[in-house]
Amino acid sequence: MIEFDHVTRTYGAKTAVSDLTVSIPRGELFALLGPNGAGKTTTIRMLVGLLHPSKGAIRVCGHDVVKSPREAHLHLGYVPDEPTLYDKLTGREFLWFIADMFGMPHRLATSRIDREIEHFELAEFADDLAESYSLGMKQRLVFAASLLHDPEVLVLDEPMVGLDPRSVRIVKDLLSARTREGMTVFMSTHTLAMAEEMADRVGIMVRGNLRFLGTIAELREQVALESTTLEHLYLQVTSSGGER
Amino acid sequence: MTTRPAIPDAVRLLPFEDEARLFTRLRATLAWETIRSMLTQARLRLSLVVLLSAMFWAALYGLFVEGFGFLDALHAEVISLLFNAFFSSLMVMLIFSTGILVYSGMYCSTEAKLLLTLPVRAETIFAHKFREAMWFSSWGFILLGSPLLAAYGVVRHADWPYFVVLLPFMVSFVFIPASVGSIVCIMLVAWMPRLRMHALTIGVVGVCLIGLWMCWAMFSKATVDAMSAAWFERTFARLSITEQKLFPSWWLSSGLIEAARTGPDGRLVADSFFEALKFLALLIANALALQSLAGWLARIAYRKGFSQLSSEVPQRRRRQLRWFDRALGHAGFATGRPLRLLLVKDFRLFRRDISQWSQFVIFFGLLGLYFVNLRSFNYNNAYASMIGYLNLAVVGLILSTFTTRFVYPMISLEGRRFWILGLLPVHRDQIVWSKFLFSFVGGVIPCCILVLLSDSMLGLPVKLIAQHEICCIMLCMGLSGIAVGFGARMPDLRESSPSKISSGFGGTLSLVVSSLFIMVVVVVAAVPTHLSLLNQAGRGFGAFAPEGMLAWLGGPWGTFCGLAAVIVTGLTATFVPLALGIQAFRRLEA
Repeated sequence: MIEFDHVTRTYGAKTAVSDLTVSIPRGELFALLGPNGAGKTTTIRMLVGLLHPSKGAIRVCGHDVVKSPREAHLHLGYVPDEPTLYDKLTGREFLWFIADMFGMPHRLATSRIDREIEHFELAEFADDLAESYSLGMKQRLVFAASLLHDPEVLVLDEPMVGLDPRSVRIVKDLLSARTREGMTVFMSTHTLAMAEEMADRVGIMVRGNLRFLGTIAELREQVALESTTLEHLYLQVTSSGGER
Repeated sequence: MTTRPAIPDAVRLLPFEDEARLFTRLRATLAWETIRSMLTQARLRLSLVVLLSAMFWAALYGLFVEGFGFLDALHAEVISLLFNAFFSSLMVMLIFSTGILVYSGMYCSTEAKLLLTLPVRAETIFAHKFREAMWFSSWGFILLGSPLLAAYGVVRHADWPYFVVLLPFMVSFVFIPASVGSIVCIMLVAWMPRLRMHALTIGVVGVCLIGLWMCWAMFSKATVDAMSAAWFERTFARLSITEQKLFPSWWLSSGLIEAARTGPDGRLVADSFFEALKFLALLIANALALQSLAGWLARIAYRKGFSQLSSEVPQRRRRQLRWFDRALGHAGFATGRPLRLLLVKDFRLFRRDISQWSQFVIFFGLLGLYFVNLRSFNYNNAYASMIGYLNLAVVGLILSTFTTRFVYPMISLEGRRFWILGLLPVHRDQIVWSKFLFSFVGGVIPCCILVLLSDSMLGLPVKLIAQHEICCIMLCMGLSGIAVGFGARMPDLRESSPSKISSGFGGTLSLVVSSLFIMVVVVVAAVPTHLSLLNQAGRGFGAFAPEGMLAWLGGPWGTFCGLAAVIVTGLTATFVPLALGIQAFRRLEA
C-alpha cells in the first residue's frame, strides 16, 4: 500500500530524511517514532505530496505521489497535526466539500457524512460555523473528513493532540476496526503508549535515519533489555549511536 | 512489481468543469457567510465602508466631471494621454499586488496545504486563489476607474453602448496584469525560490525609481511656470512614454475613447464603436491567452514550487541587543524599569516585524516625496497656509491608520499573553502606559519631521511652523491615546490576528473617533490662521476683511485661543480614553 523507495530529502546542506526504504502492506498500522527534528514530519509531508523527495520515490497504492498526485490522493486520507478548516463553513458544509472533491455520488455522500458525524459525535455542532470550534472539535471534524471516502491509506500526524480521552478512545477503536477491514495507517506520534497499544510495526527515526524497523517484540530482542515498556526501549534506541 | 489497485467505485477524479464548479460554490458560500456575519456582528463597520465608499465614489465622480469638462475645452487629445498614464500606472500596481497576493494565497496559506492533499488539479487551486487575489487587488481599480470612466462618458455625451461595454473592458483589462503577476510569481517560486525576495525588491525599487524620475522630471524645473500652458505641454510630452501601442493600457484607453465617440446628432458612430469592439476583443484574447499560460504553468510548477518553498531552512540569525534597547533599558530611575522594559520589547517586535515598519516607511516615504515636490509651485501666503494645514491633516490621517491597525490591537494581543505578564511584577497600568509611549514616541518623530518638511517647502513663516508643530504633537498624543484607550477598553482576547482585531467594532470606532479628532484639531487651528491672513490681505488689497468676532478671531488673541483649544482637545483625546482604558484593563479577567 505504501512504499518508500530509497527516499532522501535535504534542506540545503541538512539531510532531513536519508535513504528511507520502507514498505507497509495492506491492513497494517505503522507508527513512526522519533525525537523532535528526527524527520518524521518531513516523511509525512512527502507521503501526502506536500514535499517532493530529493531522491527516490514514494508510492501509495502503486501511484507515485509526485508523478500522479491526484490518483495517489484518491486513495489517501490525511489528518495533519494542526487541523485546517474554513472558518466560514459549518462542519457539515466542510464534509460535503470534501465528499464532492472525491467525486462521491450524492446518496453515498449523504450516508457517509451521517456515518462520520455519528462516529465522531459531531451532531451537536455540525451545523455551526467552524470558527466557533475548539481544537478538539476541529480535530474530530478533520478525522471525519479524512475517513469519508473510506481511504485505503490513512496518514496521521500526531493525531491525538487536542482530543479529550473519550475522543481518543473513539479514534483508537475506529483505527482498530478500519485496519481489520484492510485500511493501512501510517502514523507519526510522540505518544509511545498509543504506539505500543496499537501499532503492528514501529519505525524509530533519529536524525533522518531509520534506526529501527520492526515489531515491539523485535525491538526488545534487538535492544536486549529487560525493560518491558516501549519508553525504555525507545530511549535506548534514540540515545545510542549505532545505526540500524 | 507493484500492482495498482483500481480506483474504488465510491470515489472518482473530477473533470475540470466539476472542480471549477465546486470551487465557485465554495467561494459563494464563504462570501455569503462573511457578508452574513458582517451584517450581524459588524454593522457599524459595514455601514461605514459602504457609506464612505459611496461618498468617495461620488466625490471622485464630481471631480472627474469637472476635470473632463476643463480638459475637453482645453484639448481633447489630453484625455487619451491621461487615460494612458492612469491605466499604465494601475497596470504596474496590479502586476505587483496580484503577484504578492497569489504568492501568499498559493504558497503561504493553510488552505493551500489542505487543497494540495486532496485529489484536485494544481491549476484548479491556482484558478481559485487567482480569483481571490484578483478580487482583492482590483477593487481599488474599480473604485477609482468606474467614476473616472462614467464621468468621461457623461461629459462626452456618450451613447448607452459605451456604458454597456465599460465593465467588460475593465474586467478583461484587469485579467492581463493580474495574470502577468501570477505568472512571474509561479516562475520565481518554482525556478528561483531563493531569489524571489530579491526579485521583488528589485522590481519594487525599479518601479519606485521610475516613478521618482517621472515626478522629478515633471516638477523639478517647473518653478515659475507651474500649471501654465508651457508646463502642461512639457508634462504631457514626458507622459507620452505611457502611450505604447503594445500596452494593454493603450488598448483600453483607445477602446474607451472610440466607444464614447458620438456623431453631430449625438448618436453612436458605428465605425468607432466597431473599432472599440476590436480593442475589447484584443483585451479579451490576451486575457484568455495569459490565463491559459498561467494555468499551464501552475499545472507543471505549482506543486514543485510549493515543495521547494517548504524546503527552505529558516535562517538562524543571532539577534543582538541593539544600542537603542540597551540605552532605553538602563535609562532613568530604577522604579520606571518595568515600563522601559515593556517599551524595549515593543520596539524590538516592531523592528522585527517587516509588515509594520515597511508600511510605515512606504506611506511616510511617499508623503515625504510629495512634500519635497511642494517647492515646485509658487503660492501666496493664504494658499500656502491652507495647503500646510491640509498636509497636517494628511499626516494625522496616515498616522491614525497606523495607530488603528497596529497600536489598537496591541492590548488585545498582550491580553493573550497574560500568563506571561500576569506572573511578572508589572502593574497593569504600566502595560497600558507603555503602549501609549510606544505609539507616541514612534509617531511624533516622523510626523513632526514631515510637517517641518512640508512647511519649509511651502515657505511658511516660523510662527506658523511652530503652530503646526504644536498641532502635530497634539495629534500624535491624541491618536495614541484614542488607539490605546479604546484597545484597552474593548480588547478582543480570543482573536490572534491583529488585522481582524482592528477591523472589529472597537477598531472601526477608534478610526472614526480618530478622524473626527483630526478634523477638529485642524479646523480649530486653521480658522484663526486663515482669518488672520485675510485680515492682512484686507488691509493691503481691500479684499474681504473680517469684521467683529471674525476679526477678533483673526487677531493674536484668536490665534492664541485656537492653539489653546487645540491643546485642550489634544489632552482630552489623550487622557479620557486612556483613563477609561486603564480602568477597564484593571478589571479585565484573562
